[in-house]
Amino acid sequence: MSLTKSLHPDEKYKAGKLGTTMSLTGAALVVVMGVLSLILGGAHGDNFKRFFYAFVVGWSFIVSISIGMMWLVILHHLTRSRWSTVVRRVAEAIAGAFPIIFLSGLGFILPVLFGYKDLYYWAHPDAHNDAMNHVLIHKLGWLSPSMFALRYVIYGGIYSGLAMYFSRKSREQDESGDPKLSATMRRVAGPGMILFSFTTCLFAWDILMSLAPKWYSTIYGVTFWGSGCIAGFATLALIVLWLQRNGRLVHSINEEHYHDIGKWMFSFTFFWAYTAFSQFMLQWYGNMPEETNWYKYRMFGDWQWVSIAILVGYWAFPFVFLMSRWTKRIVPSLVFFAVWQLVFHWLDMYWNAMPSYDWTVVTHAATSINAGPLSGPISQHHVGFTPVDITMWLALVGVLLVGIGRGLKGNLIPVKDPTLGLSLAHEQL
Amino acid sequence: MSDVTEPPAGTDPSSAPAADGELYGLLAEYDTPGELVEAARKVRDAGYTDFDCYSPFPVHGIDPAMGIKRTILPLVIFGGGFAGASGGLLLQWYCNAYSWGWNISGKPTWSIPANIPIAYECAILLAVLTSFFGMWAFNKLPQVWHPLFRVDRFTRVTDDGFFLGIEARDRHFDADKTKALLADAGSIAIEHVYLDPDPEQKRMPKWIMGLIIASTAFALVPFAIAAKARNSKSSEPHIHIFPDMDFQQKFKSDQANDLFADGRANRGEITGTVARGWLEEDEVFYHGLEHADAGDSWTTGFPKQYPDSPAIVPELRGQPFAVDMKLLERGRNRFNIYCTPCHGYDGHGVGMVPTRVRQGGGNFDARNLVEAPSATAPGVAIQMPNGQLFNTISNGFNRMMGYAAQIPAGDRWAIVAYVRALQRAQNASHDDVPVDQQGSIK
Repeated sequence: MSLTKSLHPDEKYKAGKLGTTMSLTGAALVVVMGVLSLILGGAHGDNFKRFFYAFVVGWSFIVSISIGMMWLVILHHLTRSRWSTVVRRVAEAIAGAFPIIFLSGLGFILPVLFGYKDLYYWAHPDAHNDAMNHVLIHKLGWLSPSMFALRYVIYGGIYSGLAMYFSRKSREQDESGDPKLSATMRRVAGPGMILFSFTTCLFAWDILMSLAPKWYSTIYGVTFWGSGCIAGFATLALIVLWLQRNGRLVHSINEEHYHDIGKWMFSFTFFWAYTAFSQFMLQWYGNMPEETNWYKYRMFGDWQWVSIAILVGYWAFPFVFLMSRWTKRIVPSLVFFAVWQLVFHWLDMYWNAMPSYDWTVVTHAATSINAGPLSGPISQHHVGFTPVDITMWLALVGVLLVGIGRGLKGNLIPVKDPTLGLSLAHEQL
Repeated sequence: MSDVTEPPAGTDPSSAPAADGELYGLLAEYDTPGELVEAARKVRDAGYTDFDCYSPFPVHGIDPAMGIKRTILPLVIFGGGFAGASGGLLLQWYCNAYSWGWNISGKPTWSIPANIPIAYECAILLAVLTSFFGMWAFNKLPQVWHPLFRVDRFTRVTDDGFFLGIEARDRHFDADKTKALLADAGSIAIEHVYLDPDPEQKRMPKWIMGLIIASTAFALVPFAIAAKARNSKSSEPHIHIFPDMDFQQKFKSDQANDLFADGRANRGEITGTVARGWLEEDEVFYHGLEHADAGDSWTTGFPKQYPDSPAIVPELRGQPFAVDMKLLERGRNRFNIYCTPCHGYDGHGVGMVPTRVRQGGGNFDARNLVEAPSATAPGVAIQMPNGQLFNTISNGFNRMMGYAAQIPAGDRWAIVAYVRALQRAQNASHDDVPVDQQGSIK
């Protein structure tokens, strides 16, 4: 037994063509599923509204995965973590998908900027109607297409900048082996974490919360980030396994590291449930119409079944089973939960966005008194899974694969990181 | 550190007291945690089971090296957490829904979301207590007495000593062979450990027993006081634990005070003055009363205008009082907030509070505000003049409390207007529907 180990002499830690393979697979998925989604979206006959809603759901899915892994990279440096050094390059690659992801997001940002009205209600002319939307019009300075697009560019810049900074410095260390670079990254990680947290909160409010623009919750960004971390760690486990199946890093990453990835998945499963319940609890108990409205359409009618599915599938089941040690150490079991949580993470994003899809206008005494998402009878709000939801999701997963594949090049492990030895010898107590 | 100079293995420095009892076992010291793990593995492989390792901090990999199975403590903790969660839910169900249900604005007495935080905290509490005490129990702690404590060298186990002890009761134990095995594993010193011949030494020290008994007795004092108080009567004033909170240096209304000539702490308004906003000159607006020589009577109409008073919102101050859609919408809004829990949205007197009372087998209906007078129904509210309705909202009636403190006078008039509209609507006939819409509800 020793506290540190050196890299196994036979270890294959060069990516070779693996990254390119992944990118090409992703690109094929984007093309096939993208075209299919456009056809299906057009056939839906609602001016591509369903298409764009599915776009936002799928896009939130992939961007939250990168957000989760961006967080791991910053946290790794901030806390001088050791266990995660061997998987950090993979996490950097997942976070490094930000530029591609934000480029693909222009697919719905540009239409909104150039006058597409059916995705975000605040971009619709009705939103400016004082009689119908008296409270909403006060938010329209912030929620206007041009401001929205501007913030989108800022978010993309911050995320991509952070991801590229940590990736570049890390690869610089591969060349020079300078231990001072670790200290430099640690110093940046502190302010970086603050910047990252603020950005993520505002980002979640803009992209997802503003789909129901009359509703608000200050903890929303935290819940979104928690959900993203579950998916991020699940993706990390799957990609590490895929690399090992292709003969890379087989000696460096073992069940001790999978165990830690599983622990993070478990803790974020609970963290997500904790913040999601905190949000629900205060609004349910506070019982104010402008707040409970968001839950009203999710607790009753068609959507209650999705809510129950998320409660059981996204929290209760993985919570009870991931609690045990063996479910995280036996790789097939961890993979099962990783895939499971990724599916439910998508359902969570779907549940956050889709109830806003059915816009209605409530009239009273011949005047419109309320309009937009989450109004009118609950019976008019349907879950309505459609094929375009799935194809759009797969197309965007393709985008993510293109982005991650770009990052999987050169060394798949930070070979000259001072903590690498400790990470290789990492053992759970 | 004299130990370092000692010859490495096989020697017995005989630091144990001379008057020794039975042999307890052998204790070997190792230089590093890594060597301790290696030694543990060798001892395990040799078939020993009654041995233990002692180190100042947890050592990675020591459990598999010693052949210790993983503890079942996590399962026990899970059980504790589960018991806590269900116990917390049961407690709330018993208190809130079963034993002493309260009807608060007609809300249900039993509702899962409201009970989750308490259940969660109870789960955490019991899980933590189980893990804490479970760890002690599984480790057979506290041990105030142990044969190893008799070895001087062993005191360093809390600092920088790594020890492995094999007990003599192990079936493979043989003083010489075992010693050779330990030395072979690279020990820097080996000692024979003997039990203390004095059986008194095995007892728990008297002062610890005394402390436990004393603290247990002390912990029972509050319960004893509570039990005594519940079963006896006393004319003494109750105990003031926090006298400075019970007797504060201030005067409450209606207390005596020698400072003033009339001996009262209460200082009334100065004669001839009225507090701002409390003039309430307009008898119709503030009290619903019309003055006449024959005596006061309830007004049947509405006020003519809002008073020019600071108590009225600026945009209405001094404005004419118009009974229009805006007023009715305001009235509906206030009615739905303040009146519907009892009177219901339709004014029939069956809001959520009466509904819950009925569900609980009770019988309490609020006044039916829209009932038309007939042979069987008095139709009280519909016959009240506006002023009396206003007065009822302000000051209450029977079990209904007054709402003057919560609803400003202008809003109370808006409610009166809305109740009139409700009464009209609830007793409407088909002919009241606009002609062009009559077809749609035929």
